[in-house]
Amino acid sequence: MRILDIALKDLSQIFRDKRILLFLVAMPIVFTLFMGFAYKSGKNNDAAKDNRIPLGWVNNDANGLVSRQLFEMLSDSDSLRLVELTPNAVDESVRKGEVAGALIVPLGYSEQLSAGREAQLTLVADLNSAQGQSIFQSLRTPVTQLMSAVEIARLSAETLGKPNDASELNETFASASQSWSASDSASLVKVELAVKDNFLGDWYGDNPYNQASPGILVQFAIMSLVTSGQILVQERKSRTLQRMMSTSLRPWEIIAGHTLAMFGVVFFQIALLVVFGQLVVGVDYMNAPLGTLLISVALSLWVAAMGLLIGTLVKDDSQVVLFALLAMFILSALGGTWFPLEVSSGAFATIGKLMPSAWAMNGYQNILIRGLGLESVWLPTLALLAYALGFFVLAVWRFRKMDV
Amino acid sequence: MKIFDIAFKDLIRSTRSLFLIGMAFAAPLLLTALIYFAFGSIASGDMSMADIKVGVVNADVLPANSPLDVSLGENIRSMFFDDSVRSWITASDYADEAAAHGAVDAQEIGVAVIIPATFTKDYLAGKTDTSITILQDPTLTIGPTVVRDMVASLLDGVAGGGITIKVVSERMTVNGKTLEPAGIPSLIQRYINWYTDFQRALFHSLENAALVVTSPAPGGELSNDIQAMMGLVMAGQLIFFSFYTGAYAMMSILQESEEGTLERMFTTPTDRTTILAGKFLAVFITVILQGAVLLIAGHYLFKINWGEPGSLALSLLGQMFASVGLAVLLVSFIKTSKQAGPVFGGGLTMLGMLSGLFTANMNIDIFNTMGNFTPQGWVLKAWRLSLAGQPVSELIVPFVVLFAMGIVMFVIGARMFGKRFA
Repeated sequence: MRILDIALKDLSQIFRDKRILLFLVAMPIVFTLFMGFAYKSGKNNDAAKDNRIPLGWVNNDANGLVSRQLFEMLSDSDSLRLVELTPNAVDESVRKGEVAGALIVPLGYSEQLSAGREAQLTLVADLNSAQGQSIFQSLRTPVTQLMSAVEIARLSAETLGKPNDASELNETFASASQSWSASDSASLVKVELAVKDNFLGDWYGDNPYNQASPGILVQFAIMSLVTSGQILVQERKSRTLQRMMSTSLRPWEIIAGHTLAMFGVVFFQIALLVVFGQLVVGVDYMNAPLGTLLISVALSLWVAAMGLLIGTLVKDDSQVVLFALLAMFILSALGGTWFPLEVSSGAFATIGKLMPSAWAMNGYQNILIRGLGLESVWLPTLALLAYALGFFVLAVWRFRKMDV
Repeated sequence: MKIFDIAFKDLIRSTRSLFLIGMAFAAPLLLTALIYFAFGSIASGDMSMADIKVGVVNADVLPANSPLDVSLGENIRSMFFDDSVRSWITASDYADEAAAHGAVDAQEIGVAVIIPATFTKDYLAGKTDTSITILQDPTLTIGPTVVRDMVASLLDGVAGGGITIKVVSERMTVNGKTLEPAGIPSLIQRYINWYTDFQRALFHSLENAALVVTSPAPGGELSNDIQAMMGLVMAGQLIFFSFYTGAYAMMSILQESEEGTLERMFTTPTDRTTILAGKFLAVFITVILQGAVLLIAGHYLFKINWGEPGSLALSLLGQMFASVGLAVLLVSFIKTSKQAGPVFGGGLTMLGMLSGLFTANMNIDIFNTMGNFTPQGWVLKAWRLSLAGQPVSELIVPFVVLFAMGIVMFVIGARMFGKRFA
């Protein structure tokens, strides 16, 4: 009962200042709309322009049959855009990023291959850059098909007993190249999303708010650390804490009371953002209402407990704000609220997946993107509760040692 | 001289504020470091992404009288269990599609490759309605793309065998001969041998491959898309926190007013204009110092090339004029330091968003347009030009606009303060 009294006192104190609504409600809503809009605009921008990777083209074998065929294949590419370069301009164009790489066809390339000798194409690219890697990967298929046509021509001519007949080699090469153009191995591979059959929601990419809404929700829940941390600081300043400590209240009861209040504040914020996401931007939290509830409760408990731990560590309000903001930046980025962890480097993703914020994102994504039900949020919920318990125990331990 | 004394006193006070130090230096560096940690290692050559977890359901059966030794399904399955991919692919077998679907749902694997029972038979029969299904976790993009490309590449190898038979057969006919069925296996085998060697060279021995890769010859800074992204990310942080720092440092006027020290200063023979000028000077120095430290840190920690010295100087000066001007204007409207939180937190964040500071690397048209009406937007324009290596002459327009904005805001704010403390 005394825990409840402390919680109610805190809540009345917190909501007396109406400015808190700006941070609890208005800012996350504006940020959700902003981020969703930014994702959508980025996508539209990408769709409107030619997104093919620019590839510099230097042909020193202008009249060669094989190089001409390669030029035709690359000109038809969906992923590469040819930019003709002079040999002298190659290095500078690649260095400046005007082209992602440059392909150089050596002098006598076609003749060498027709004669059964080795010949190499040269790609000038920085393989340490993402674009350099992309262009190398994009060139593999056309180069493989080109060399395959050369090899087929050689096999055919040998089988016919005309290994050195240039006309036979050329005709077979043209025929094999044509067959490759008609072949489409990619069409034999069908890609499906692993989602529930009856799930009707929009997928990641179709509705940008599927990432923006839970991402901002988790980020601003963490920002609530400011409010929870400030409770203890203010009580210390007003000497309320000292008076409470002189009563029969136990330290853990005081922390539990404050945690309960903060849980209420964070949960209230999350609930508003869930309703906003569902009704305004079409994010289907109600695909699994109980799952959404469980993950939101666990997230609120963790944030409340961590906020109070910060409250026991700092000396004044400004330190609370600083610690809370730093925690928000680190946990939001590592937890995948700004961008999917899959696109980051291995170490970042591995560490990130352990963060409580990542568990919260995982829980929401199971419902919103994977279309799963209640069963999918048990693990993230348990992980968040374990974090909440850990931070609560630490907060009590620090509180006992605190000089009030 | 008194102006400098007051400015020095304010600067000392600022350095004692953990919050100001944190927001001015730690926060922008931390944010940029996080992005660098996430993507920077890729730029520096470490291409290690998280492991791709693949599940394989291979129901494919080798049909009777097949020219192949093993089914295509088994070839595809073996590819994911091969030693050469073990460092970045973790593969496991699943009995059926339902089991694989369950594993994707449980996030035990990111991608499942499902090969139907009659795939080899249908493929060899030339049926086009057969297919291998790649079942992917909907939150992933890179892993599934890699797996799809691997499967398509293997099928390309097989398709090459088919094309070999077709083309050789056609050429034999043209030359009045017939390709005997007994000759087909050796022809396919020769093609497969070539294809295996070719792929091995392309994947594992680039110097002997049909496509060799060389780096561009050195000469000047290497343009790198990740580095360019880092430059824009840090420019966004630099601008946002510069405006925040300016406003927070300017708030010392309100704090001193609340603490009563400002009124006590006004009772001294020191001119009020001198007192206010000293305070403004402290904010100028704080913002310049912050900018310089972040630029140097950005260059050495994240290898950001901020541009030519002249362009860099104009961008930084323009940023300083605009941030100090806006700080003076904002604080002149605020009555108490308590009001500052929402105004700084909400107002500056909103202006930053509209100006595209948080999406600087995405270059979104509408924010570029809105940025024409905000000081932060013009500062971002200046940094964009400087980062792109533009000469000083290209930065004159944004600098003049920022200077003018800064002066106008400063004059209005200073007049408000003058009236308030008259």
